[in-house]
Amino acid sequence: MHISIRKNLKKDKSARAGLIIFIMILLISATAPFFIKDPEAFSKIILSRPSITSILGTNDLGQDILSRLIYGLRTSVFVAISAGLLATLLSVIIGVIAGFTGGLVDEVIMRIIDAMLVIPSIIILILISAFIKPDIISLVILIALFRWQVGARIIRGETLAIKQKIHIYSARTFGAGKAYLLKRHIIPDLGNIIMASFLQNARSAVFLEAGMAFIGISSLSSISLGTIMHNALEFYYLPVWLWWLLPSGIMLSLVLVSFTLLSNLIEKVIDPRLKDA
Amino acid sequence: MLKIKNLNASYGSKKVLRNLNFEIKKGDITAIVGESGTGKTTLALSIMGLLSEEHDIKRISGNILFNGTNICSATRKELSRIRWKKISMVFQNIDNILNPTVSVYKQISEILNGKNDNSKIKNMLERVGFPSDRADAYPCQLSMGEKQKALIAMAYISEPELVILDEPTSSLDSETKNILTEVIKKLSSKKTVILLTHDLDTVKRMSEKTMVLYGGSIVESGPTKKIFSNPRHPYTRGLIRSYPSPDRTKDLQGIRGSSEFVDTGCPFWPRCTQSINICKVYRPPLKKYGDTMLACHRGGIIPLLNIENISKSYRNLEVLKSVYLSVYEGETVTLLGKSGSGKTTLAKIIMGLLKPDIGYIYLENNKIEKWDAGFYKKVQMIFQEVESAVSHRLNVIDAVMEPMLIHREKDKPEIIEKAKEVLSEVELPTDSNFLHLYPHHLSGGELQRVVIARALILSPKLLIADEPTSSLDASIQAKILKLLNRIQEERGLGMLFITHDLGVARKVSDRILKLKNGIITEERLK
Repeated sequence: MHISIRKNLKKDKSARAGLIIFIMILLISATAPFFIKDPEAFSKIILSRPSITSILGTNDLGQDILSRLIYGLRTSVFVAISAGLLATLLSVIIGVIAGFTGGLVDEVIMRIIDAMLVIPSIIILILISAFIKPDIISLVILIALFRWQVGARIIRGETLAIKQKIHIYSARTFGAGKAYLLKRHIIPDLGNIIMASFLQNARSAVFLEAGMAFIGISSLSSISLGTIMHNALEFYYLPVWLWWLLPSGIMLSLVLVSFTLLSNLIEKVIDPRLKDA
Repeated sequence: MLKIKNLNASYGSKKVLRNLNFEIKKGDITAIVGESGTGKTTLALSIMGLLSEEHDIKRISGNILFNGTNICSATRKELSRIRWKKISMVFQNIDNILNPTVSVYKQISEILNGKNDNSKIKNMLERVGFPSDRADAYPCQLSMGEKQKALIAMAYISEPELVILDEPTSSLDSETKNILTEVIKKLSSKKTVILLTHDLDTVKRMSEKTMVLYGGSIVESGPTKKIFSNPRHPYTRGLIRSYPSPDRTKDLQGIRGSSEFVDTGCPFWPRCTQSINICKVYRPPLKKYGDTMLACHRGGIIPLLNIENISKSYRNLEVLKSVYLSVYEGETVTLLGKSGSGKTTLAKIIMGLLKPDIGYIYLENNKIEKWDAGFYKKVQMIFQEVESAVSHRLNVIDAVMEPMLIHREKDKPEIIEKAKEVLSEVELPTDSNFLHLYPHHLSGGELQRVVIARALILSPKLLIADEPTSSLDASIQAKILKLLNRIQEERGLGMLFITHDLGVARKVSDRILKLKNGIITEERLK
């Protein structure tokens, strides 16, 4: 059952495409400040068509749309990675504690997770956000708080299964303590699941953030693809949507698609039966 | 009749007999057994009074009292009155014992001081089954068996009180051996006999009492039956194990190392698998244990594992019902039973992976309260599921090092060395190519060896092997079983071998325990 992500990546074209898009997004987001105009700078030329000076034209405030798009992308990537990491961290800690300890602790944690899962988190998120108008950091925390439960459940189940594996029993009969088992066996064995869970969380974090910005309940202090689309929608009757609304939609889709393709790859790695499908 | 007190003998600086003390009663047939070179012949020669008068390199001290006469300090005259008349000896039949230039008949008559008592000699030759028409033959014309018969006739012709038989049958074929054993038994009625031999079959058939000699000391003595059925000294057990007796099904096992004389401590300690510090320093005295005498600081072969009154049920299913079991140092106990009979459950309870409902586990007579690193250093387990016993993320060297890394008692380079050592012990290559293979690269047999190496690297005293060969084909199974057998010989490993295969069980076990309906019954190995 020795599995390698790299080997699967070589065979899987769509996963490779996903990875290439993801790397490009990362590169663009990382290097944006060096070649992009200030996205906040106003000008008198408003709602202009695409030109050499501003490739995707300007918005109603005369700001360069492309610069804003790329800054929006940066926000998406930041939210994806930080909310993804935070939610996954919570999933791993809580899931492993529940699965590894078992007994009453497991029972209590699982009931809490069940309770949280039945409440539609999006509604709660919208309510809280409408109330506190979260900035980007608190949004990340909020998203993470509402996204860890599914991952924790999966990781708890997997931990239960790994705990019964013979190599864990072997290690126990060599005299290994809990810390050793977790560090050397259980967490590494969970690696692929953790990766998958991270990608899932990252993807839905991007979606949630954009969605909440789009309906206008997150703070306007940061540039987000959702806000851009929200603003662009006001001018749908002008041809400006072609270079304002459409590119922002495409940009958001690209981020989501890259995460989806990558998590498909990980799922195939975890469950080889999916390979032929 | 014969009393030996503080007998010591040495060849130069090499002490051959050390502080021997024993007594032989009239009419007893006493066997003294031991490997070659443990001092049997020297003892015989000293009882015959042959040792004291030879070159003074052979120094002898102590007392040998034969009916009150001290042979060690007797004059030649006194000796000649005893020798051959009261005490006679059948020498180990090596070619130069009989005088090649004198006929057999003459050599026998020499013992009767030249008195040509024809009928007596004829009668004796007949009794030992020597063809009487060949009585005039010279030794070179005789077969091995005939020579031996002649030697026996010589020893018994003078109707001595004490006969010393030094390897009377060991160089003979089994048929001749059978005949001669019967002959000797008949001749020896009402006589006192000392039988010196390494041939355990003869010992079993002839003697009532057995003394086990090692390194010039008696390590164990007692009734022959008891010694053979329940040997308590590791050396005695080693001797019995290495002897190909017809009703033994387990593979032959030797005794590790080779016999050497040590100056201090127990004579057996360099080869003993359970020796502790005191064994190297003080010589253990011969102490009485029931009707046997034993010289061992550890009180004989130690019980490694004792299980008392273990019961376990899963919900309504009673898997183990008050189970008792013990495993001694260096022995293999097989737990035989079909799948689902609770074998693995018992193994897991011993390993602390499952909690028994009731019952106790003792390791080296200490009750186990918690299963800590110290316990796992002494007890290791080979799991049935070989394929998943090694994490797929560990390569060979990492897998073998894992137990030592967990115990963190040594530096990494040392651990790597140790891992390589263990790998070569289980007959696996230690080149860097092999060391970096992953479990899925290995064949079933190789993987099983890696798993065994992992279990051995902590030098456990007890190994629990749960169906270690059930997933292997017969030829690889044979190799693995041989390997385990050899490791047991070298390390004195106690083994609890779990299998459903009676054939395998008979091949590896000293004892077979059958587990059925949660109850253990002992099987006779026959």
